[in-house]
Formats: sequence, structure tokens, C-alpha cells
Amino acid sequence: MDPTPQQIAATQGPGTTLPVTDRPASGPGAGRDAALTTVTSQARGSYYGIAPIKKPHWQWEIVLYFFLGGIAAGAYTLATIAEVFGDRRHRPIVRAGRYIALPCLLISPVLLIKDLGMPRRFFHMLRIVKLKSPMSLGTWGLLAFSGFAGLSAVAELAAQGFGRGGWPARLAGRLPRRGLGRAGSFFALFVGGYTGVLLSATTVPLWAKNKYLLGPTFISSALSTGAAAITLALAATGQDDDAALHALEEAEILALTSELGFLAAQGVHAGPLARPLLTGKYGTIFVPGVVLGMVWPLLAQLHGIRRGRRTRRGRIVTSLGVLLGGLILRWTLVYAGKDSADDPAAYFAQTRGE
Amino acid sequence: MTQSADGAFIPISDLAQRDRTRRPKGFFTDTSVCIGCKACEVACKQWNALPSDGYEYTGFSYDNTQHLSGSTWRHVAFVERPGAGHAGAQSNWLMASDVCKHCTHAGCLQACPTGAIIRTEFNTVVIQEDVCNGCGYCVPACPFGVVELAALPVPAVVQGPDSLSGQVAGPLAHKCTLCYDRVVDGIEPACAKACPTDSIQFGDIDELRARATRRVADLHAKGIPEAYLYGAQEGDPGTSGGIGPLNAFFLLLDSPETYNLPDRPQLPQNNVLPGYVATALTALALGLGAALAFRRR
Repeated sequence: MDPTPQQIAATQGPGTTLPVTDRPASGPGAGRDAALTTVTSQARGSYYGIAPIKKPHWQWEIVLYFFLGGIAAGAYTLATIAEVFGDRRHRPIVRAGRYIALPCLLISPVLLIKDLGMPRRFFHMLRIVKLKSPMSLGTWGLLAFSGFAGLSAVAELAAQGFGRGGWPARLAGRLPRRGLGRAGSFFALFVGGYTGVLLSATTVPLWAKNKYLLGPTFISSALSTGAAAITLALAATGQDDDAALHALEEAEILALTSELGFLAAQGVHAGPLARPLLTGKYGTIFVPGVVLGMVWPLLAQLHGIRRGRRTRRGRIVTSLGVLLGGLILRWTLVYAGKDSADDPAAYFAQTRGE
Repeated sequence: MTQSADGAFIPISDLAQRDRTRRPKGFFTDTSVCIGCKACEVACKQWNALPSDGYEYTGFSYDNTQHLSGSTWRHVAFVERPGAGHAGAQSNWLMASDVCKHCTHAGCLQACPTGAIIRTEFNTVVIQEDVCNGCGYCVPACPFGVVELAALPVPAVVQGPDSLSGQVAGPLAHKCTLCYDRVVDGIEPACAKACPTDSIQFGDIDELRARATRRVADLHAKGIPEAYLYGAQEGDPGTSGGIGPLNAFFLLLDSPETYNLPDRPQLPQNNVLPGYVATALTALALGLGAALAFRRR
């Protein structure tokens, strides 16, 4: 009996050429087709290896926004936690957190608008609110967070005595700093985490598969990079008081541990879908990024806690490592996801319920 | 030109009054009679003023279009099956004209943050070119890989607040409109009009579904048991994961994946709530942990 096309295809990759001699000798058209020199065969689950879905166009602007938005969210939230639960010694942390959030949030919309096909229509995002679209809710969340972050930074400046005596400073001084921080932190956490949900709510195999893990990974990374940014700012300006920074470093250890845990869970859960992330060109960046940006800083922090104190240089170097790691994490997750969307087998594995 | 039931031509001025029924409309693409002529691709490009995709020869089949795109809203797939001949049907080629599915619950529409993507009175899904700002989120939100960003010239007749007439706009999201501008005037979409074998049929969705069911039974009776419907009604392949019946559905003769269609796709928005809940719980746990750290010190 002649092999069926499926049987032939099973032995062939998509688009491979099948020598004429291997083709069935009988059946309709067999003789006529012999005039052809080659024929392409079909493997199950592939139409000539063409992707059945389209990947997003997002490039470095979006990666950088995910990174800066995360830092702003983490720094602002940790500042609020330090303000509410800490004491006088933690005042520099609060101040640094507020000052770091604002510039990150000033750059973010520029990046997002630059990414649009028609940047001058960016305000079309503000026509509607759509609960099921993380892109829509994220726009509003970012807008709200930016407003709170702006007011918080202004209030902090006024509290430090900037522009003393002038009416703008008097006005800013009357702002309810603690109230702003608490309300703003809700939107900060939203901005830190929604980006992961936004990626999951697509057909991209690597992201969709990790629907329970991508948001938690991003919010953990937001808090770890936010803590690192505050530590870096304080160490670089000579305000790295050990007593004050210990609490922040404990929070950072927690965030880094959570980040590593969720990343490991992603790798296990995604299985073969995680291949573009763990191997190839993104793997060669991702794996060192995890070591440099998460494992090593975590070990250094734990070591510092056991010793009771850390050096200024140590703090600066590990903070830079965490920040770089956060950037690499988002860069590789975005680009490896795009690669997974190019793979018909990856998408069809999902849509077969495998 | 459109003809009335008795064969008389209808003046263009009367067309506007012709179909305001607002009944759900759709496509039934019966691939068993597709001859791969690509008239649908050409008619679509002509009516919608879509630019050429250039001359790229794939070398793997007669399919040089390869997939739907921002500038190609009908795509004829060619699947060669050496030696798979059937008496009474095509011998060893499968051909299928793919198009936007106009899903009952459309991922692109739910993802769109500007409201550019709308549900029309015909239950079809249309992108408003003058609202879209090219954020691109609808592109990975489509379970069928239909929507794509493209910088297309705006036809000179299109007037809008942006005054883009005659310019190249975008890249913005584009896809099949089920010829909204024709259907609203009671004319069938360009691809269906051009199809010489009625492989592409346009009409009221209920009538199309009934016709398609009869066609499958007919093919089964004629000894083609592999014929089945993709996306015609709830439970068919292509309608899973909350997507629901497709307003553009297909009669297929091999597995969906053979035509590059997913068997059991999921609506991406199913992942939104689980994602938010998991993220909120993580944020809560980490926030509490950080609060404890600051309180102890």
C-alpha cells in the first residue's frame, strides 16, 4: 500500500524537498508529476512553516518603558512603605523613592508615544476605558500614577525647603504627602504589574502559557529594581546609613527571591516553549542576566546581612547588577516571546491543549 | 452591478435603501469548490485600494501570498498532497481562501485601547482607520493571525479630522472589513462577488450556516467523509476558548492545521483576570513583607 501523505510528511520537516524516487509510484497524477523534479511536503501542524499568528511589533522603546515603569513603581511603593511603617531614619529612602519615580515617569510616555504608528493620535487612548484590555487600563493607570508621582515629588521638594517663601512652594507644602503616597502606591503597583498581564493576554505562546506567572515576575522585578535604584541613589550621594538601608535591603532580598522563584516556575511551566528564552541568542543574555542581576546580588545581600554591614562600593555594584538584570529580564522576555510567536509548533501545541 | 430578483439592474441611487436590515452577515467559504484562482485576493485589493505586496516567489507552492497581512485581506492557501486522490473531488490539491473570521468574541476588538475596532450592525468587526493610532496590541491578540500593522496610502475619497487624504498613514492596524462599505449599501463583498465557483458565499449568517450544514451532509453522502465545518457553530473547531462561532466560517477537508488554522484557539482576554489576581496577590505579599522589614527596624 502506498504511504499516505501524512505518513510521508511525518518523516519530513516542513518545506523539505522529497526526491521523486521516494514518491508513490501509483495513484492519480503520479506519472504526470514525475516530470517535476521536486515536491514540497507538509508536516502535520505546519503550513510551510509559516507562523499562524502575528507577533507584536514592539521594540526597545517598549522594553525600556517596562524597565523604567517598573523602577518608578517599585521605588514609589517602597518609599510609601518606608514612610508609613518606618521612622525618621528612613526619611532619605522616602525622598529618594519619590524623586526617582518622577523622571522615570516623564520618560515613559515619550517612549510609548514614539512606539505608536501615529504618535499624534496618542490621545485616542483616552477616549475610552476598557477593563479587559490591559493596554487601555494601563494607559489610565500610568496617567494616574504619573499625576500622583508628580505631586509627591513636588511636595517632597517643598518639604526640603526648595523655593521657600514663594507661593508655589507654599501651595506644594500644603499637599497631603502621606495621603498622596498611599493613594499613589495603588496605581504604582498596578503600573509595575499590569505589563506582565498585558503580555499574557496575547496569543504569543511563551507569554500566554505563563498567564499566572508573568505579572508576578514583573511586579517582583519592579520592587527589586526600585529598591536597587533607591540604594544606588543613596549610596552615590553618601546617604547610605546602614540602619536605614537594612530594612530596604530585606525588602529587596524578598523581591529578588520572589523574582527568581517565579522565573524558575515559568521555565518549568513553559517547558519546550521556554526554549527561545533559555537557549540561542536570548539565552546567552538571559542566563548571565539572571546570575548577575538576581542570584549574585541576592547572595551579596544575604552575606552583608550576616556580617551586619555592607560597603558603599558593594551596595553600588550590586544595585547596578540588579538594575541591569531587570533590564535584561524584560528585554529577553519580550524578544524571546516574539520568537515563540514565529514558531507554528509552539502555537499549535497551545491550541491543541498540550 | 447589482441585480434585483427579477434580473433588472438596480440604480445605484436605490442601493442605499436596500439593506438596512442589520441582520448578522458573514462568509461561508466552501473550500471543496475552491479552484485557487485568487480572484478574491485581487478583487479585495482592488475594491479596498490595497497596494501590491511585490513579486516574491515562495517556491513551495502556487501560494506566493503566504498569509493574511495588513495589505492582503484574502489569502488563498495551497496545500499539495501527493498521491491523495479522491474520485469526484480535487485530486491532490487543497485550496482555501482565508479571511478575517469576524469572531463572535473578537480578541482584537477586546484588546483595542482606542475604540478603533468596533462591532458593526452586521455583527462584523471593523477597524476605523481614522481612530486607530497604531499601538499594535490587536496584532498579537488575534488567535488567527489576521490583523497586522501596515502603512497604507489613504484613498483620496476618505476625509477625516486628520486630513490624511492622499497621504500614507501609519503603520496602523488593518484587516478585512467584510466590505462594510459595500454591505451597508446592499452589495455583497468584493471577494464573494468575484469568486467564480461560489466557494466564497456571502449572506445572512443563519442562512449560510444552514446551507453549510446541508453541503457537508451532501459531501458525506457523495463519499467525502472528511468534510467538516470550521467555526460555523459553537463546538466546532475554531470556536473554543470563548471565541464563539465565527461569522466567516469554512468547510475544510483536512485538519485545521493543514490550512494553518488553530484547532482549539483561546481568547487571549481569558488570561487578563488570572493575571491580575496573581499579580495583586504577589504585590500584597511582597508589600506586607517590606512593611514588616521596615516596622522591625
